[in-house]
Amino acid sequence: MIVEVQNLVKRYPTFELKNVSFGLERGRIAGFVGRNGAGKTTTIKSMLGMVHPDGGTVRYFGGLLSENEAEIKKRIGYSAGTLAWYPRKRIREIVRVVKPFYDTWDEDAYRNYLDFFSIDEEKTPLELSEGMKVKVNLMLALSHRAEALILDEPTSGLDPFSRNELLNVFLALKREGVAVLFSTHIISDLERCADDIIYISKGSVVAARPKEDFIREYSAAGESLEDTMLRLEGGAAHA
Amino acid sequence: MRNVLRKELRLSASVLSYLFILFGLTFFLPGYPILVGTFFVSLGIFQSFQTAREANDVVFSALLPIAKRDVVKGKYAFVCLIECAALLLMALAVVLRMTVFSRSPVYRTNALMNANFFALGAACLIFGLFNWIFVGGFFKTAYRFARPFVTFIVAAFLVIAVAEALHHIPGLAALNAFGTQAIGLQLGLLAAGAASFVLITVLSCKRACARFETIDL
Repeated sequence: MIVEVQNLVKRYPTFELKNVSFGLERGRIAGFVGRNGAGKTTTIKSMLGMVHPDGGTVRYFGGLLSENEAEIKKRIGYSAGTLAWYPRKRIREIVRVVKPFYDTWDEDAYRNYLDFFSIDEEKTPLELSEGMKVKVNLMLALSHRAEALILDEPTSGLDPFSRNELLNVFLALKREGVAVLFSTHIISDLERCADDIIYISKGSVVAARPKEDFIREYSAAGESLEDTMLRLEGGAAHA
Repeated sequence: MRNVLRKELRLSASVLSYLFILFGLTFFLPGYPILVGTFFVSLGIFQSFQTAREANDVVFSALLPIAKRDVVKGKYAFVCLIECAALLLMALAVVLRMTVFSRSPVYRTNALMNANFFALGAACLIFGLFNWIFVGGFFKTAYRFARPFVTFIVAAFLVIAVAEALHHIPGLAALNAFGTQAIGLQLGLLAAGAASFVLITVLSCKRACARFETIDL
């Protein structure tokens, strides 16, 4: 395991993350699935030290994030979906500032992703569509040879073609040994590329296991993964 | 830290922070409450905090491969850089007014406080208060800055009013010294102001670092 989340607890007045535990392995893609408000973003923010859990630990490469923050952050990549940074600055300028923080920055990879995602460096985030913002965030996360990628809703806002391209990028990264965690509520993304499924509901991890095991345990005969998730979330109404 | 400061200067800062450094030149103005220049410099820095908040700067910075406390230190480094640049302009005005223009009637007949080392020390104190009240106050939440800034305005204008009034009190005329008059006292007051700036800023930064560690972003 290169990322281990153990018994994560976070209490809010109206919501609680309850003993969330799962792990990420090298060369595997984990789909983090759950409906809106299930606790995906809180979990991810806790994993990145943005939210302070009331209990539990997050370990990267065997060490606690809190004890080796800078070094661990160099080895991981994060993308926050459509959140735009510095909306009025040119992407070229943002990248120029970000680059020196990473001694692992890969200029060739950066140029490749720039080309691959058709990103114009001279544009500002304000001029980008929601889908393009996702791509810029991903490009930043992918250009420093991260060993683990933590992506919050990376496919939301993308057109089907871009989504397909992105899922192919995940598969290529997987072959290079990168661990990928991506949260989503698009079940077909899981079917397409996830090796593991982490299913969270109402703040609790219901299941965290290989996709095949998940399907074997939860899916009825002939049922698609999407139907399974709908049934699990909706109860009898979707049975 | 150099990278963090570069990020502050190139991504987070508002251009007004740089332009408003020029308010340090208020120290050249006769018949003007020169310490008000410190308020305008602070207002320029405030604009950077506003710009940065709109750009999700704090979250972006916290995700960079640095310790979270370095996000806070970077912000303080930027603020101090702007303040020191303004203080440099103020110091230039003070030195010129104490030497070349020390006998200039336009400054000699100035009813308001003279630009001397005491004034420079008071400017240091006001910037220290800005760092304590505003910057420190901002890092209680990392997004709320209206109340800390209003509180700073009250504190700053109180200090300005007191500094302007002091030399009118019998026995304190030396605070308004011209040229090299009462130079020992003047230098002592400058040293006290500079020391208060450093001490207040360091304490504020430490407190802000500790607070920032506990904030949910």
